[in-house]
Amino acid sequence: MTMIDPRIHQALDGELPTDALPAELRRAAQRVRAAADLLAAPVPGPSLESRIMAEIRRPAPSRLSRVAGWLATPHAVTFRVRPVWSLAFAAVAAVFTLFFARDAGPQLGEHEGIAQFVGRFPNARSVHVVGTFNDWRRGTIALEDVRHDGVWTATVVLPTGTYEYMFVVDGERWVPDHLADRLVADDFGRENSVVIVRPVHR
Amino acid sequence: MRLAVALTLLAVPLAAQSVQSRLEGRIPSDAVPAVDSLVQVAVHEGLPSEPLVQKALEGGAKQVPGPRIVAAVRVSLGQLRDARDLLVRAGDQPPTRPGEVTTVAWALRRKLPPSTIERVVAELPHPPRAAAIHAIADLVSHDFDPDSSAGLIIDAVHNGLQRDRLLDVSTAALHEVQRGRTRDEAIAVVRQQLPNVPGPPKPERGTVTRARRPDSTKTPR
Repeated sequence: MTMIDPRIHQALDGELPTDALPAELRRAAQRVRAAADLLAAPVPGPSLESRIMAEIRRPAPSRLSRVAGWLATPHAVTFRVRPVWSLAFAAVAAVFTLFFARDAGPQLGEHEGIAQFVGRFPNARSVHVVGTFNDWRRGTIALEDVRHDGVWTATVVLPTGTYEYMFVVDGERWVPDHLADRLVADDFGRENSVVIVRPVHR
Repeated sequence: MRLAVALTLLAVPLAAQSVQSRLEGRIPSDAVPAVDSLVQVAVHEGLPSEPLVQKALEGGAKQVPGPRIVAAVRVSLGQLRDARDLLVRAGDQPPTRPGEVTTVAWALRRKLPPSTIERVVAELPHPPRAAAIHAIADLVSHDFDPDSSAGLIIDAVHNGLQRDRLLDVSTAALHEVQRGRTRDEAIAVVRQQLPNVPGPPKPERGTVTRARRPDSTKTPR
């Protein structure tokens, strides 16, 4: 902070004639006095009292216009972020994207549906479903006993249509799906189960 | 014209090669030539060949002896011929659609009377009728009267329902039976609901998430 020479104070207070000041202090004293005069001069226009009363008499703005005004006014928003938290947040977001978003399931086409196969085979070591949807190939659709309770399940995306199928238990035992409500003779002395796959997107 | 002939001459051997490659190693080797020749007969007659290939692959997967596989494929070829002849007899102009022939053959296997199929073709002269035949066969295989079943599905078509929605009609009738109605009552109730039969429930999000595409890259055991 710049200190004002005490002699300028004395000159402004009338305790010391301005002429008694050295030339540079005299000019400074004159600039300060001019500024003081400017501040003391009356403001042109209505008086302070009338301006206050005008403000008081003006009707209060509606809630809607206040909200609109608040929305239209720019507001400064300040974030104070610790870099360690930012990095932690980014890591969590990356993990979520990699594991959860990827596990959102397959994208189904217009002519695709979902078939659920469920069979109860206690003590089975493996269960596969084979049928016209996989050219009767074993090993392409394995059922899983997730809870180890003998209930084997598989949820599969298939093109829409009607399919015949059977379960193959432990690689050798052919068993129809007893939960299927449609069966058809297979011309080999057994019965195939029938599943109708409907489109998911309709 | 020459190009078309050349392409046709090329396509038939390619198709034959492709069928043989699908059969080799999947069915007993002594059955491959006979099955292949039956498939070629189907192609030559304008019949769908995929049901024959599937029947052979099914027999091979079930470790059925070669002669029985050939016999089953021959039966399937006969069913396809019967289906085509039935469609033509009912008023379809040849060549018949392979999809319709396959569906009719499948319906005949499910004990749908030929007269019922003829009625469907007569009353629904414009293909596709596969869904309608499917829905009727579905009802008949659950011991519904063939004529009543055909009447319900034809009414559904006249009410603007098509394709998969016709399966909703047969499913709705089956649900009514499960609720304790007689089959005649079930058909009457569903007929009153037309065309607003409920659709199948949407699979839950968890079901879609769990769903996997079959692994077609694995080799058969």
